Amino acid sequence: MSPAAARHAMPMSRPNLPETEAQPAARQKVLIRNVDFYYGGFKALKTITLPLHDKRVTAFIGPSGCGKSTLLRVLNRIYELYPGQRATGEVLVDGENILSPGLDLNLLRARIGMVFQKPTPFPMSIYDNIAFGIRLYEKLPHHELDDRVESALRRAALWDEVRDKLRQSGLGLSGGQQQRLCIARAIAVQPEILLLDEPASALDPISTQRIEELIAELKADYCIAIVTHNMQQAARSSDYTAFMYLGELIEFDETERIFTHPKQKHTEDYITGRFG
Amino acid sequence: MDTYARRRIVNGLVMTLCVAATGFGLLWLVLVLWTLLWNGVAAVTPALFAQMTPPPGSAGGLLNAIFGSVVMTLIGTVIGTPTGILAGTFLAEYSRGSKFGEVVRFINDILLSAPSIIVGLFVYELMVVRMGHFSAWAGAVALAIIVIPVVVRTTEDMLNLVPNTLREAAAALGSPKWKVIVMVSYRAAIQGMVTGVMLAVARIAGETAPLLFTALNNQFWSTNLNAPMANLPVVIFQFAMSPYADWQVLAWGGALLITITVLFLNIGARALASWSTFKQ
Amino acid sequence: MPADIALQRVTAEKSRHGAAGDFVFRHLTFLFALLVLLILGGVIVTLIDGAIPALRTFGVAFLFTDIWNPVTQKFGALAPMYGTLVTSAIAMVVGIPVAFGVAMFITEICPIWLKRPLATMIELLAAIPSIIYGIWGLFVFAPFVQQYIEPAIIDSLGQVPGIGALFAGPPLGIGVLTAGFILAIMVLPFISSIMRDVFETVPAMLKESAYGLGATRTEVVLRVVLPYTRIGVVGGIMLGLGRALGETMAVTFVIGNAHRISASILQPGTTISASLANEFTEAVGDLYLSSLVALGLILFVITFVVLAIAKLMLLRLQKRAGG
Repeated sequence: MSPAAARHAMPMSRPNLPETEAQPAARQKVLIRNVDFYYGGFKALKTITLPLHDKRVTAFIGPSGCGKSTLLRVLNRIYELYPGQRATGEVLVDGENILSPGLDLNLLRARIGMVFQKPTPFPMSIYDNIAFGIRLYEKLPHHELDDRVESALRRAALWDEVRDKLRQSGLGLSGGQQQRLCIARAIAVQPEILLLDEPASALDPISTQRIEELIAELKADYCIAIVTHNMQQAARSSDYTAFMYLGELIEFDETERIFTHPKQKHTEDYITGRFG
Repeated sequence: MDTYARRRIVNGLVMTLCVAATGFGLLWLVLVLWTLLWNGVAAVTPALFAQMTPPPGSAGGLLNAIFGSVVMTLIGTVIGTPTGILAGTFLAEYSRGSKFGEVVRFINDILLSAPSIIVGLFVYELMVVRMGHFSAWAGAVALAIIVIPVVVRTTEDMLNLVPNTLREAAAALGSPKWKVIVMVSYRAAIQGMVTGVMLAVARIAGETAPLLFTALNNQFWSTNLNAPMANLPVVIFQFAMSPYADWQVLAWGGALLITITVLFLNIGARALASWSTFKQ
Repeated sequence: MPADIALQRVTAEKSRHGAAGDFVFRHLTFLFALLVLLILGGVIVTLIDGAIPALRTFGVAFLFTDIWNPVTQKFGALAPMYGTLVTSAIAMVVGIPVAFGVAMFITEICPIWLKRPLATMIELLAAIPSIIYGIWGLFVFAPFVQQYIEPAIIDSLGQVPGIGALFAGPPLGIGVLTAGFILAIMVLPFISSIMRDVFETVPAMLKESAYGLGATRTEVVLRVVLPYTRIGVVGGIMLGLGRALGETMAVTFVIGNAHRISASILQPGTTISASLANEFTEAVGDLYLSSLVALGLILFVITFVVLAIAKLMLLRLQKRAGG
């Protein structure tokens, strides 16, 4: 790739990525193997195979309609809510295939957290929003529940702003706060994997930055997969990047390599803005 | 006359007719409400609420009729609302694209506009004939059958307005479907659903035909649900069609009471609906 | 992540409870949805069951006989059916143009701040219970019609050769015309509301292209809006008709309850629902009762067909609009 293109692709600073040497060795948490996905008769994902590493952030980039959100939704089988949508292939989480038919979906989803594009606070108090997921599966004494709620809100960098209004409706918060509420809600149930579907796309730039900082902190404890439209965000925040196009995985590699020396011409074209 | 001028005249004519039509509609509203007020106010005395329906020629009130109406409306609502909500929930949450759901929705909308006297006839055969006598229970069931389609419709419409992302967010936390519905969807739709119930109550508060051959009427005070029970609409029917002046006055009074209740519930429901959209 | 075994056990147990809850809830809602169908089925079955004795006795002739004699036990549905159809026809003739005018006014002419309050007021016409219209009709409207309107009609239209028989006196106030007119007021909010809803679905761009060519408002509505929405408009009209056919109390008060067919619409008559309301509780004899139930069955069949057609048309419009 020409130096000009390289400069274009790499943002000037990457303040949020910690030193590579300080991170523990990357372990494969999820292996997506030969996954096809169908919306009715339409094949939206074609033979996707890639790993997701534990305690790392894997970003999915690509133009609209390339299937990145679809792939994310395969991972917690949220597509099962809709008849006519189905996935074939295997997704191994710690060696166990979560696409197998007999699997308890609710238990699966308790282990995998998801944050959506638009903030979706439940119509209840902030406290109840966070406690909702916990109450589903754990019977905790009152003070322990309080602690869990507080800890989730702290980790989501929301505690200081809402500590006095826990009983107020979640709908009264600003957009950025609502999204952090949704993140807190997702991590309160102590999942192993976090799926983030364009979490900052509906937010203003300042909220976006706070979310990105949050993700960099959360990385230490979770396997994170993030779909993003914003290439600079992917380059800044992720360790691995997958570039998808029209339902296929074009290239998957460590982020640094993809943005400086992409192997596929298609990837390079997308990164340098020739299309998308 | 050139065509453009003619077109303008026609337009002006039609516009005037439209204004006239609207005025026409409003005129009757005002007329009916005004004469109701005018004639009914004379009957609104403390006695109206304290005394029972009298035999012709004596003074009295409508207490037993008011009580009966309140009781049967309440029971009808209590029976019909959960039924309607559950059926509406099925249509909104479980019947995506299924033929059965389409049929239920179709039939429900027909029942919504079906003649209420047919409902009375049905409950007569179902309950009055079987039990051997008229009863307040039969009246309440007839009213419940009128409530059900209304509540089914509003519940389904309100639940359909709840965005899918909210359901997905709950499911993504591992919530079983019934909890998603009960703890998230219902909460999100609650205001619309309450509005629907209020409109249903407003509807049955004034219904006469279904009570004509189920609860019948009762001259005296009665709290026995297993016997005929007085109610405002049937009393109004009987008293208004009679030749006795004091009965007719009571009929107007009862009519005014019903209308105030119905309008209050209607306007209240609308106010609730627009207040909640304003709040969000 | 849930590390201890105890937590895992609770989690799995709660998940099983969740699945059990799902099973129960799903089937509960299904049962109540089924109940809606059962109610309709029950209505049909009980009506047929109750009507069979009369139908067996009189046969198909029941539909074409206008005798109604409890003494000789001879009954026929012709007079009530005629009354039902004629009063509803009058309601449509008066109500449809007015409803159209109201809908057009609210969607096209009226200033924005007036729309909501005006629409609400028109809808209040629908909220007023039938018996209120009845008592108002009997004590206020009918005497007024008797004193002023009917003499004027008899003197004018009643003198025209040919159709004069339709408007023959004497002026009674109560009668088919009065009942039909009150029905018109009662159904116009329903028709108008549906018309308004379908008028609003017309894309603004479509109307703007017509205005841009210099069309007057009338022309845009008649040549663009109406053709675009005609299925929905007809559906709304059918819905109004369905309601008019089944209306009971308002009609019972002002129709005069005479089991006969008169040429003149100024004369009293009866409708199916009015007959039921007036006579059912006093009917003596199984054949009398069964004849009344048979009337109910006929009314049910007619309204069911009309309402089903209305619903089908409105569904087609919904599908086309992508709803």
